[in-house]
Amino acid sequence: MRQLLASAVAAALLHISPTVILVKRPDAVKQLLPGADRFLARELHLSAHDAHRLHEVVDWSPEDGVLTFFVGKEAGKDVGTLEFVRVDTPHGPLEVAVGFTPERTVRGVIVTKATVETKPWVLAALAAGLCERYRGLKPGDAPAGAAAIKAQVGELPDYMGQQVDKGVTRALVAYRDFYR
Amino acid sequence: MLYDLRRADARVKWLVSCLLATLGLGYLFGSWMVGLFSGFTPNSVAVTFASPEMQMAMPPTSTMVMEHPMTLQEFGAQEHYTVDRTLLVQDTHVHVPIYGIIAAALSLVVLGLDLTRRWGYALITLLFAAPWFDFAGMWLTKLVSSGFAVLTVAGGWAMGLAYTIVTGVALWQMWRPTPGGMP
Repeated sequence: MRQLLASAVAAALLHISPTVILVKRPDAVKQLLPGADRFLARELHLSAHDAHRLHEVVDWSPEDGVLTFFVGKEAGKDVGTLEFVRVDTPHGPLEVAVGFTPERTVRGVIVTKATVETKPWVLAALAAGLCERYRGLKPGDAPAGAAAIKAQVGELPDYMGQQVDKGVTRALVAYRDFYR
Repeated sequence: MLYDLRRADARVKWLVSCLLATLGLGYLFGSWMVGLFSGFTPNSVAVTFASPEMQMAMPPTSTMVMEHPMTLQEFGAQEHYTVDRTLLVQDTHVHVPIYGIIAAALSLVVLGLDLTRRWGYALITLLFAAPWFDFAGMWLTKLVSSGFAVLTVAGGWAMGLAYTIVTGVALWQMWRPTPGGMP
């Protein structure tokens, strides 16, 4: 009986909160690849060695071992590149879209997905200007958006800021190491 | 019969009715959630659980690059909720014990019903087999072929069917009017 109760409590505590779309992907694409009229998905099926290397550096493996860069073009000219990176948290996954300019700097960051539980914390972090802190970062830089808004937000929005930092770090490293 | 719900104390009948109502509410919202995040057809379930790894089960020896054009609308199509292997491990770990507890609770109700032994066995088997099919379908869809999504759909409907039969028979046997006036 005790085991049954323990399982029920564990299930209630661990139940995954459903995903909420904060910004639709097409809208994020329009904002991060402005003016693009053609898109390419560049899928990198990572070798075991590359997947391991990426995991060692940023503690992350892209979904199903496939790293995807979305390239935007306008009249045949590069507008930039975009990645959607997922960050798993104990409160459910976040998805962060990170856009790069052709000059290889961060054009912008948009949190596209959160969960029912994390949405208010994410929105509080965004309202404190979290995503503005990432603009202009270069692939070797370490994002510090959470630290920049720490004084203005509570503990949980700060924690969400750290998770978004983590997503941006993953995007920066993946872009630096795999996007040519 | 181990015990007879028809002749049980009214408080026991009330307890069983409340349990069935609560589980029913859970199933209703479960169905709503499935509709929101996955869908009820084998195709939509396959999109939720199948992986690109089905085409490339082993990582290549060197990183391979594939490029294909996309439209802006296709970015929207990628919004469909998907469950990768890590999340499916977590989901299985969380849901299977709870499904077991629910099946056990409903099986206890079955034991108190006036049914033949064969029907009892059949209902108890259905109560436990439905979640097995549900999760077997998810894993086989992810690891083997998207055609197995039909198992998940069948498992889901079987769960609903088993609950409906147990609830219908239990409520009828517990609360049907009797000639004496008292259920």
